[in-house]
Amino acid sequence: MAENLTSASWVECRVEDDSDVLYLTGVWRLANVAAIAGRLRELGLHARTRFVLDGSKLETLDTAAGFILLRHLADVGCTQAMVSARGFDARYQRLLELVHERMTTPPSAAHSGHQGLLQRVGATVLAVVRMLKMHVDFVGVVTLELLSLVRRPGRFRTKETVSQFEAVCIDAVPIVALVNFLIGVVIAYVLGVQAQRYGATLFVADGIALGICRELSPILSSVLVAGRSGAAFTAQIGTMKVEDEIDAISTLGLSPIQVLVIPRLVALMVALPLLVFVGDAAGIAGGLLVGNWQLDIAPQVFMDRVHAALELRHFVIGIAKAPVFAVVVAIIACGMGLQVSRDARSLGQNTTSTVVQCIVWVIILDAAFAVAFQRMRI
Amino acid sequence: MERVLSVESLVTRFGAQVVHDGVSFGVERGEVLALIGGSGSGKSVLLREIIGLVRPTAGRIELLGTDVWQSEPYAMDELRGHFGVLFQDGALFSSLTVAENVAVPFVEHTDLPRDLIAPLVGFKLALVGLPPDAGAKFPAQLSGGMRKRAALARALALEPDLLFLDEPTSGLDPVGAREFYRLLRALADSLGLTVFFLTHDLDMLVAIADRVIALAAGRVIADGPVAAVRKSDDPWLQEYFASRA
Repeated sequence: MAENLTSASWVECRVEDDSDVLYLTGVWRLANVAAIAGRLRELGLHARTRFVLDGSKLETLDTAAGFILLRHLADVGCTQAMVSARGFDARYQRLLELVHERMTTPPSAAHSGHQGLLQRVGATVLAVVRMLKMHVDFVGVVTLELLSLVRRPGRFRTKETVSQFEAVCIDAVPIVALVNFLIGVVIAYVLGVQAQRYGATLFVADGIALGICRELSPILSSVLVAGRSGAAFTAQIGTMKVEDEIDAISTLGLSPIQVLVIPRLVALMVALPLLVFVGDAAGIAGGLLVGNWQLDIAPQVFMDRVHAALELRHFVIGIAKAPVFAVVVAIIACGMGLQVSRDARSLGQNTTSTVVQCIVWVIILDAAFAVAFQRMRI
Repeated sequence: MERVLSVESLVTRFGAQVVHDGVSFGVERGEVLALIGGSGSGKSVLLREIIGLVRPTAGRIELLGTDVWQSEPYAMDELRGHFGVLFQDGALFSSLTVAENVAVPFVEHTDLPRDLIAPLVGFKLALVGLPPDAGAKFPAQLSGGMRKRAALARALALEPDLLFLDEPTSGLDPVGAREFYRLLRALADSLGLTVFFLTHDLDMLVAIADRVIALAAGRVIADGPVAAVRKSDDPWLQEYFASRA
C-alpha cells in the first residue's frame, strides 16, 4: 500500500507553452495498471491540444502500462502527430515506440462466445445426427473390410486379436464376476424379504436365475466392458491418431481398419458372451449365498429350483445378446477413436462420449430385444 | 551487470544414467543466451530444472536471486510471475481460445478488471504479430508458427524479466523461423528481456545469440560469444558449425 500512496498520482498534467505536459511518475508496471487507467480517466484529457509525455520522473515502464497510456490517448482522439515524448530512458523510449507500432491493430474478441438456448439445442441435434450418420458409415466400412478379409483370410491378425482378447476378457473376469455376484446378493436379499411374507422364499431362486441370466448379467457385463474396454479402444486409437500413427499404417500399405478395428471387434465378440456366462455364474452364486444364510434355502434345493426355472432358451437369449452388444461397443469405440482430431481436448471428449453412447445403446437395444422376444413368445 | 541466473555444479542422475556432471554457468540481465548440444545432451532437462519442474540430484540453481530448489513454495510462486516459458509446441490449452489462453495469466495472477484484460490481451497478440481474428480461434485451428506466437504472447503476458524458450523455431519453415527469431530479438531489445533458449537452429544462433553455451557428455564444453565458440576444437562443435552451408 505504501508504494501506491507515494506514487498515487501516477501522472500529473501541467500546461506549458500551450501544450499539455503529462509527467509520468512512479512504477508503471502491470500490477498498477488498473490504478493508472483510473487516474488517466480522472484527468479528463481532451484532444484539443498537443501532448508531451515527460518520462524524467518515471521509475520503470512495461508494455502493459505503456499500452494503457497510449490507448487512453488514442481513445480521447489524439493522433500520433499530437503526441511527443521527452526525458525518457532510451530503453523506455524504444518500448513506447514498439507499443505504438503494434497497438494499431484493433484488439480481438477475448471470448469464445456463448450460444443461446435455441442455438445450443440445434447444434446438439445436428451433432447427434452427424454422429449417427458417422456410425452407420463406419459399420459399412468395417463390413467391407471384413468381406475383403474373408477373401484373403491370411491377412487376419491373429496375434493382435489374441492380445486384445486377453485385455478385454481375461483381465475383465474379476470385475465382471464381482459386480454380478454383488447384484445377485442384493436381488436375492430384496426379493427374499418380500417373498418371506408369502412364504414363498424358494421362488427367490427362480427370480435370480431368470433375472440374472436373461437380463442383468448381459446388461451389467456390457456396461462394464463399455466403460473398461470401450474407453480404452477410443483412447488407444485416438492417441495413435494424434501421433499420426494411423496415417503411418495407411502409408505402409496396411488398412487401419484391419490392423486396429477388426482385431478389437472380433476379440470383443468372443469375449462378451464368455463374460456374460461368468456373470451368470457369479450372480447365481451370490443368490445362493444369501439363500443359504438369510432365507434358509439349502444350496442343493436352490440349485434344483434354478435348474427347473432356467429353461435353456432364457440362458441362450442372455448369451446371444452379448455379441450384438459387443459389436455396438466395438464399433462406437473404434469409430470415436478414429474421429479424434489432433488435439488433447478431443481425445478426452471422444473417450467420454464413447462410454456414454455405448451404455445408452446397450440399454436401448436390450429394451428392443425384450419387447421383440416378448412378441415372439420366447 | 546483474546476474539473473546462476547454475552451480549441477548434477543430474536418472538411475545409473548421468545427465549432468557438474554444469556451471551464469546469465547476466539483458543477455540473449543460447544453449546448444546434441540430442540427448540434457538441454531440456536443464531447462526443466531451472524453471522448477524437475529436481536436480545435486547443485544449486539461483534464478533472480531465489534458490529454485531450496526456497519455500510461496517464494517460487512469486518467482514464477517474473519469468515466462515457451514450450516446444506452444503448450497452449486446447480447450481455450487463443485470447483466453493469453488471458489466463492476467486472470490468475492479477486483479485487473475484465474490461482492462481484454484490450491487454488484444495488444499482446498484436505485439507478437498475430492478426486480430486469431484471438477467437482455438489452438488446433492455427498453423505451427501462429501457435508459437500465441504461446509467446502468453509467456510475455505478465511482463517477465526472463524468457525461456525450448526450441523456438522447431517445426517452422525457414522463412517463418527467421521472422520468429527476429521478432524475439526485437522484443528482447525493446523490453530489456533476458532470453535463454535451447536450439538446434544454427541460423537463429548466429542471428540473435549474444552468447552460446554448448553442452556435451553432461558438461559445459564451450561458453562464450558465437564467434569464439565457433573456433572451439571440440569435434562435435566443429561438425555442428560445419553443417552450415
